[in-house]
Amino acid sequence: MSFNSFKRALWAYHLNTGSCNGCDIEILAVLTPRYDVERFGIVLVGSPRHADVLLVTGPVARQMVSRLKRVYEQVPDPKMVIVVGNCGIEGGVFHESYNLVGPVDQVIPVDVYVPGCPPRPEAITEAVVKAWVKLEKAEQGVG
Amino acid sequence: MISLPFWNPVICIIAFVILIAIAYLFRSRGQKKYKGGTAQTEVFLSGEAPPAAEQRHVKSHNIYWGFFQALKQYYDPTVRAHTGIINDFIIWFIAIAALTALILLITSLI
Repeated sequence: MSFNSFKRALWAYHLNTGSCNGCDIEILAVLTPRYDVERFGIVLVGSPRHADVLLVTGPVARQMVSRLKRVYEQVPDPKMVIVVGNCGIEGGVFHESYNLVGPVDQVIPVDVYVPGCPPRPEAITEAVVKAWVKLEKAEQGVG
Repeated sequence: MISLPFWNPVICIIAFVILIAIAYLFRSRGQKKYKGGTAQTEVFLSGEAPPAAEQRHVKSHNIYWGFFQALKQYYDPTVRAHTGIINDFIIWFIAIAALTALILLITSLI
């Protein structure tokens, strides 16, 4: 795989919209020495304004809707959204909770889904690479 | 003989220009795709709506807080004296004028 347009490191911003923290721990595992995606130039950043990819974990709690929308709008274009875990995809064990608005794709557009409860770090890494490929195509379309 | 430190304004100007050039270089390497007037150029506050600029900026008065605090024992009486009533100011004016005249009179007699 070769990237021609998107040559810089891929920066991701992680947002928890109501997760049980299981997926968040797996995202951290991706950064540990065992998987170490930073060697490919994939890093977590502290602000969506610096990010290319938005990593969302958990179903969207009612209080998080406006925050999720605002964070999504703050990511510069072109941007990709990855939903990590079953809860963000279809609600998971929380799907009937009174305080949920629904899965992430009912609030913002989603590009890559990573099923699992929680998904393995390998699956998250593959999702980021898929997002990177989509971003590469989007970058070519924009630039 | 006291040796003064080296000082040349031309070198300062050249250093300033070089620093500006370096700052411009860093700025030009930054993200250019932010869309102005959208949330992309707004302040990031963990997803919260940013308050108005006047509310989130540090007021200039805060810079002098330590100064006012340190000189509180001098300021408090003077602030109390500033009642905003014109009669009080006139009384102060007459008192200071009388005191000045008295000092001038005494010094001229000595």
